[in-house]
Amino acid sequence: MDFGFTPEEEAFRGEVLAFLADYQGMNGYFHRGESTGEGVRRVYRALGERGWLSLSWPKEFGGSGLSPAYEFILWDEMAYARVARPPMGPGLVAKALMAHGTAEQCERLLPGLRLGEVNFALGYSEPDAGSDLAAVRTRATLVHDTYEINGAKCWTSNAHWADAIWLLCRTGPQDSRSRGLSVLIVPLDRPGVSISPIPTHDGGRLNEVRFDGVRVPVENRVGAENDGWQVVASALAVERHVQFPPKRLRRDLQDLVTWVEKSGLSRDPVVRRRLTGLAVQVAEVEALALALLDEIISGQPSAVPAAYHKLAGTLLAQEIARSAMEFGSDEALIKDSDVEFMWRQAILETVGGGTSEVMRGLIARQAFGLESKG
Amino acid sequence: MDFEPSDTQRALLDALGTLLSRHAGTQRSRQLAVRGAYDHELESELRAAGFLDLFGDSGAGPLEATLAVERIGAELGAITPVPHLLVLPALGLPVPEGPVVLADHERSGPVRYGREARQILTAGTDRCAAAELSPDEAEPVPSAYGHPLARVVPRRAEELAPGTAGTMVRWWRVGVSAEALGMMQRAFDLTVAYTKDRTVFGRALGSLQALQHRLAELSVLLEGARWLTYEAAFRGATAESSAVAAAHTMAALHRLTRETHQITGAVGLTREHDLHLWTLRLQALRAELGGLRAHRRAVVTSRWGVAAA
Repeated sequence: MDFGFTPEEEAFRGEVLAFLADYQGMNGYFHRGESTGEGVRRVYRALGERGWLSLSWPKEFGGSGLSPAYEFILWDEMAYARVARPPMGPGLVAKALMAHGTAEQCERLLPGLRLGEVNFALGYSEPDAGSDLAAVRTRATLVHDTYEINGAKCWTSNAHWADAIWLLCRTGPQDSRSRGLSVLIVPLDRPGVSISPIPTHDGGRLNEVRFDGVRVPVENRVGAENDGWQVVASALAVERHVQFPPKRLRRDLQDLVTWVEKSGLSRDPVVRRRLTGLAVQVAEVEALALALLDEIISGQPSAVPAAYHKLAGTLLAQEIARSAMEFGSDEALIKDSDVEFMWRQAILETVGGGTSEVMRGLIARQAFGLESKG
Repeated sequence: MDFEPSDTQRALLDALGTLLSRHAGTQRSRQLAVRGAYDHELESELRAAGFLDLFGDSGAGPLEATLAVERIGAELGAITPVPHLLVLPALGLPVPEGPVVLADHERSGPVRYGREARQILTAGTDRCAAAELSPDEAEPVPSAYGHPLARVVPRRAEELAPGTAGTMVRWWRVGVSAEALGMMQRAFDLTVAYTKDRTVFGRALGSLQALQHRLAELSVLLEGARWLTYEAAFRGATAESSAVAAAHTMAALHRLTRETHQITGAVGLTREHDLHLWTLRLQALRAELGGLRAHRRAVVTSRWGVAAA
């Protein structure tokens, strides 16, 4: 058992911190402000130039062939600096292409993803298919060698500035559940795609993405037809170690402590006790994140450690955020102060990227072998 | 003992419900929120119908006034019901037109409707001070919580009689609990309705036992908040009953907010859905009077007669 990173990995952390010095105050992690889409694109391109979007890709695909620990370090430090979240393209999409795509698809798409030039949105959720993803209705019909797509995706992050969407759609009969789904890559500038904003409480934007007779060639399907569920599941499995970086929480707590000091509350024993409790919980989530990373490094990841980590980490984000409000300072109500924003943002975290309920169900089924009735 | 509302209370709440259905509610709340405006029209309707006089009315009283505050909160009335219906009457002060700000001397942060208010009541250690406010001197601050906020500068403060600060703070605690109760109930009702309508995995969301238990637990918290708040009003807002009501209600408020948003999922996190009209406004109540921390201290002080460190 060894809980540390290697000297090489720690040296890499130093490089990341040096890189981040140029991006302080950017706030792309939460997409605060109007222009962060463009700001985040710029960061991704800068990372791409350094080869940091393909750290753990195998060398034969143009990557560095390094341990997933490097990716973890990169995105953990990016989260602490609040600069950006990991992009879906070079992460989930690229890794799925390497596992399920054709040689032609890899050749066509991987270079742009590696360089941070192509950005993807994930098209999974629909109005009537959120946690119940197997209920997806957006339909793709193959006519000769072209898919025609009709339907709508909902709650889609980043669709308003991404280049393409990684679309989970129905190619089998309507009641085929997870057995009748396929994954298509759809450029978002295709005729028939329309994107409209869904404003959220944190002042950010999700999107509704409608497909009205959108046509893409059959070459844009990843994996076999009706095999989309496996493609999506395996793509997720190799990306979980970067999806909820624990240093985001360390930073949340640090911001809260800074605010408490400024507000003159830091001598209050009730406040100090609460902060101490939160600090212990942050350490707990960091430990769970490393346990998850270890699973990913082992190459045989189960979803359970990821569920532990996501569940504990996102609930803790909310605990930290509500503390400022409960300490009873009116200043915690001023819009877009750091502690105020944190509260509105944190309520989204236990819903997006798999709800806490999905995580709990997964733990019960996969860790304990409990089946739900019905 | 009788926990059922009397015929008079029932009639009163029916009449208030009718008035609020015409002059308050989600749509009006959304329109006013865009401008950050106080609802003078609603206040004037309530005044004309006598609802601002309930506290001292011979046929009604503080409990009826508290029930009215709860309903106004539930219907998102964009006024300041706590000073108008409870605190000012309890102090024997006239109820002016327009918003009134409640503050306590330990805090000087932004207050609800500070930009439009002409009067502020500040609770000192023993006496309460009434002061004037000038809209020209108010500094609005951005608010994400439904109610417009501003920093204010009190002028020409006049000290009231000894002991008035205690009266003000105790009725304020009852009032903020009643307002929260009304809003929490509506957020809860909306969530229960959602679990009946929403289908997942081929069944109603509300048929999942894990969610049923969570909703049941929330309803227990709500019941507790309801009876503690009513009881505090019934007992004339004693130090202990008002502190206990506020301490319980503000703790329940946190859990209710988290759970209603969690159970309604993505749609509940959007602006187009109504849930946030209650849950975001509720957060502004959490900070009043020093928040949960201060309410709990007040419980300790009133029950055991010791001042918390």
